[in-house]
Amino acid sequence: MKKKSLSDVIKELRMNEQIIHWHEIEPKEARTKALPDEVDSRIQAALKKRGIDRLYTHQYSAFQTVQKGEHIVAVTPTASGKTLCYNLPVLQAIAENNQNRALYLFPTKALAQDQKSELNDIINEMGIDIKSFTYDGDTSPAIRQKVRKAGHIVITNPDMLHSAILPHHTKWVSLFENLKYIVIDELHTYRGVFGSHVANVIRRLKRICQFYGSNPIFICTSATIANPRELAEQLTGHSMRLIDDNGAPSGRKHFVFYNPPIVNQPLNIRKSATVEVNHLAKQFLQNNIQTIVFARSRVRVEIILSHLQELVKKELGSKSIRGYRGGYLPKQRREIEKGLREGSIIGVVSTNALELGVDIGQLQVCVMTGYPGSVASTWQQAGRAGRRHDEALIIMVASSTPIDQYIVQNPDYFFDRSPEYARINPENLIILVDHLKCAAYELPFRTGESFGLLEIDELLEYLVEERVLHQNGDKFYWANQSFPATNISLRSASQENVVIIDQSDVANVTIIGEMDRFSAMTLLHDEAIYLHEGIQYQVEKLDWEHKKAYVRKVDVEYYTDANLAVQLKVLEIDRSVNRKQTAIHYGDVTVNMLPTIFKKIRLTTFENIGSGPIYLPEEELHTSSTWLELREVDEEIGEKALEQLLLGIAHVLQHIVPIHVMCDRQDIHVVSQIKANHTGLPTIFLYDHYPGGIGLAEDVYKRFDDIRAAAVHLISQCLCENGCPSCVGMELDGMNVKQACIDLLKQF
Amino acid sequence: MSLKSKLNRFKPHMNREVEQNPLQTKSEEKAIHQVDIPYEDKWRQNDTSCYHFDESYCFIREVRYPLDYQHGRYSFSQLQTIMNQWNAVSFDHPLSGKGLDSGDLFFFDTETTGLSGGAGNTIFLLGYAYVTETEVIVRQHILPQPGHEIPLYQSFLERINYETLVTYNGKSFDWPQLTTQHTLIKEHVPKLPEFGHFDLYHASRRLWKDQLERVKLSVVETDILGVERVNDIPGYLAPMIYFDFVERKDPEILFGILKHNELDILSLISLYIYISRQILQMDGHTDESIKVARWLDYIGEQEVAVSTYEAVRKSGSNGDRLTASHALAFQKKRQKQFQEALDLWQEIVKHGNSQQRIEASIECAKLHEHQFKDIVSALDYTEKALQEIEKIVSNKKVSKWQEDLERRISRLKRKRNHDG
Repeated sequence: MKKKSLSDVIKELRMNEQIIHWHEIEPKEARTKALPDEVDSRIQAALKKRGIDRLYTHQYSAFQTVQKGEHIVAVTPTASGKTLCYNLPVLQAIAENNQNRALYLFPTKALAQDQKSELNDIINEMGIDIKSFTYDGDTSPAIRQKVRKAGHIVITNPDMLHSAILPHHTKWVSLFENLKYIVIDELHTYRGVFGSHVANVIRRLKRICQFYGSNPIFICTSATIANPRELAEQLTGHSMRLIDDNGAPSGRKHFVFYNPPIVNQPLNIRKSATVEVNHLAKQFLQNNIQTIVFARSRVRVEIILSHLQELVKKELGSKSIRGYRGGYLPKQRREIEKGLREGSIIGVVSTNALELGVDIGQLQVCVMTGYPGSVASTWQQAGRAGRRHDEALIIMVASSTPIDQYIVQNPDYFFDRSPEYARINPENLIILVDHLKCAAYELPFRTGESFGLLEIDELLEYLVEERVLHQNGDKFYWANQSFPATNISLRSASQENVVIIDQSDVANVTIIGEMDRFSAMTLLHDEAIYLHEGIQYQVEKLDWEHKKAYVRKVDVEYYTDANLAVQLKVLEIDRSVNRKQTAIHYGDVTVNMLPTIFKKIRLTTFENIGSGPIYLPEEELHTSSTWLELREVDEEIGEKALEQLLLGIAHVLQHIVPIHVMCDRQDIHVVSQIKANHTGLPTIFLYDHYPGGIGLAEDVYKRFDDIRAAAVHLISQCLCENGCPSCVGMELDGMNVKQACIDLLKQF
Repeated sequence: MSLKSKLNRFKPHMNREVEQNPLQTKSEEKAIHQVDIPYEDKWRQNDTSCYHFDESYCFIREVRYPLDYQHGRYSFSQLQTIMNQWNAVSFDHPLSGKGLDSGDLFFFDTETTGLSGGAGNTIFLLGYAYVTETEVIVRQHILPQPGHEIPLYQSFLERINYETLVTYNGKSFDWPQLTTQHTLIKEHVPKLPEFGHFDLYHASRRLWKDQLERVKLSVVETDILGVERVNDIPGYLAPMIYFDFVERKDPEILFGILKHNELDILSLISLYIYISRQILQMDGHTDESIKVARWLDYIGEQEVAVSTYEAVRKSGSNGDRLTASHALAFQKKRQKQFQEALDLWQEIVKHGNSQQRIEASIECAKLHEHQFKDIVSALDYTEKALQEIEKIVSNKKVSKWQEDLERRISRLKRKRNHDG
């Protein structure tokens, strides 16, 4: 059988009646400017050798603005030559003065490695002795000394900066004394808890620079988000110039919304998105069209992967289709990235792990299993498909969730909407205090010294009382045996990850991955089915105390899904809005979480085929919350019905809110209670799933009017008759649920 | 809600530093003024004076010992004997005192507030000793509380003027830590001088790593130097005790640490004497001789290495004798004295331990094949080596041997058939 080309496949797809929207993005010509004369001639020559004799407009403005001494944030889509935005000024500075130094920060080790090889290629062609090194956990002790003393460009990640470089700054004197530029790539990834940590790490970095007398310029690059400048300013504490005149060319892109057929008309239930994705991806893969499939969870990745490998096993061999997600070991990931670049891997199924700038080359087709959850994320994933001069196809397959349905049925909402805001809260007390400790370890604090936005004298005194600092005159000194950075992980609430140990082969027990503590509660409990690289494992024992999960390979036809019971207590109300019959509050709450049972769900039909208990200790969380309180309720609505209505509204909010405050679904939780513990009133809580809160609930409080309007809009636009899983969850006898929910919402 | 009450609520989520000071007394003092030194009398009674610099101060404790004072096996007067001997020999060595006088050595040890290196790990005690013509002077510069680093380093740097540091693990701990702390205040104090550095930890590992479970100074002291300490406070308690002192100002508890540090420093003198005597072979053959010979061999001092091996062959234990013969054989081979080498190895093939037998058989096979052109004997020894190998547990090195040997056998067989 002759293989079809991508344009053949696109032609066929046009006939497909499940496609409810077809959006074409016109190809774009390049916009360029001549290389500025002041660029060092050796750099010019090296660039010309690589076929670059002119700069794209954004690269040009980046260079010129940095030359003027301004801090910049450049917003660029995938594959637009963003690295030149920072490499050019940095190389120029070192070419001008061999003493100059630069520090590059990438969110992951993998991105740092990529960057080093790209940078070294240019440097070799320049013929200047510029030393660039990565500095991470893998750097051998023998090289470390050399990096510290002689590295012009040090490429690292925030974690390494936090735990290895800053606490030992005295070994990096030549870097800090001469630091001219700090490059922060993938700026948009520094949001939420991680971003709040990183903002504090940067405060520490700036303190150290000041101590050594340098005042570096920040060069940041970011994917498209609504507030790149604000985020960069929050992270670096400097005012920023935004560079967004992207001049890179792109080929024609087809952006297609695919809605699976309805299988149950009154309930508005559609065929599973996963099944449809399998079917679509198979067509591309069979025709040797390089395709990336995005799925929203690790489990989903593994399910799709196992289906696809099975489907195309005969034609392609299962090695040509791979999974990619957190929890795979670095070596595995490098191998997959390489395979994609070289074309030996035709298909990859990934979580949003591949949204980041990991270099996998440009693919032809991108399939999304459901709406990725944010406009920014969607464009990032879409950017994986599309070579500079070829056509590309992006298909978003909607699931039955309310937001997916809303998006595909209101394409203008997506295509006209500006992407989301990235929020951080560097002033989160827990995060701030952690970094104050590290900062004090690095250099003593002086009374009145600033560290971020809060007055910190009171915090320093608290740490003196806690016997962590010692006050002598107007200075505060570290006075403890410990090394504070080791106790503080930038990545998650808990440092401790659960290690996953495969004991299928008793003689050869191996570690196959790891997972954070909170996810492990629902994914690695006893008897859970854990999928890794398409292979099913059953958890034989989760040793919670030692944070180890022992698994064994199995072959079963189901996966598992765990339930989590949640309790809430209000500790303190900070702010309130009182309306006629309702109130909205913002304050502090305690959340208690306990996983209860898990269900076994058949892989093929997704039906429930059994369940079992989970025995794990309760976890407690103090955090910020916004809650909606109903003070007077129409008595005609019975308690049972009201409970359902609250659930319905909570269901809609759980989907709407992450979109409005830009966070992962797991970062903010929505829980409804018919009788809240503290008031006995019907209440819906929205809380940050991180100790101390990271500003999401606060954002909900501030922008509740927008969120309410979006929720009402979603419910009224839904195609179902009287409530379905795509909006308020379900229908109720004898009541217009949709209207009732809207009426309730409008009271807030 | 105030920040502090919020902090108290979040306490369970906070990373807590382990509670260390058992005695909780709240410090009311915000600053110490130059004139007002708490417990000054107690300090004075314990050989300590106060050093003032700018608005700040530190303590300096000084203790003197007569040269004939016996610390463990040796009296300190031995040091000059050792230095004379170093200046008399012709070979070089990393610990060589050639060109140095006993007064040029600077025996140095610090105490810090933590174990892991880093900017926040404060040195609270800089201790050192040096030997004059009449006595040993031990001096300790003590940080009264964090924040008094400038007088601490100022007083220290004013007083040091020596050629070579002698430390125990100072190359990777004390000295880098000192450099780190110095960097933090380098605007205010003199530069750090350049030093030679004898790190006795590395020397001790070479000599006693197989013999001692842990090559810590305290273990070396008891097992090798014959020093006995009474009521010593273990070094790992130092940070805890120091913080307690900082809080309560009463130096009583700190004196234990000062004594501990003083003894550590005195042991450095004895240890340098002891190790030097071994390297210089001043006590004739000892248990350490074989290690010393190998060390000299390793650093390329072949001549003195050979004579030390010879000494071991004369008076060493059976095991050491074989080790020495084995090493000597390699020396002879290098000097193209093939017959002498062969004789030595043949002896080892008979009496050596399993690994020595294998290596010696291989060497005999090589000599026979390449030097004496005796293919039959070469084959004989190769097969012997293979038989020995089969008796031991396989690992990477062993399988490499095996491969090489099999290749050798087939080559030898080809040669034999060709010749025959």
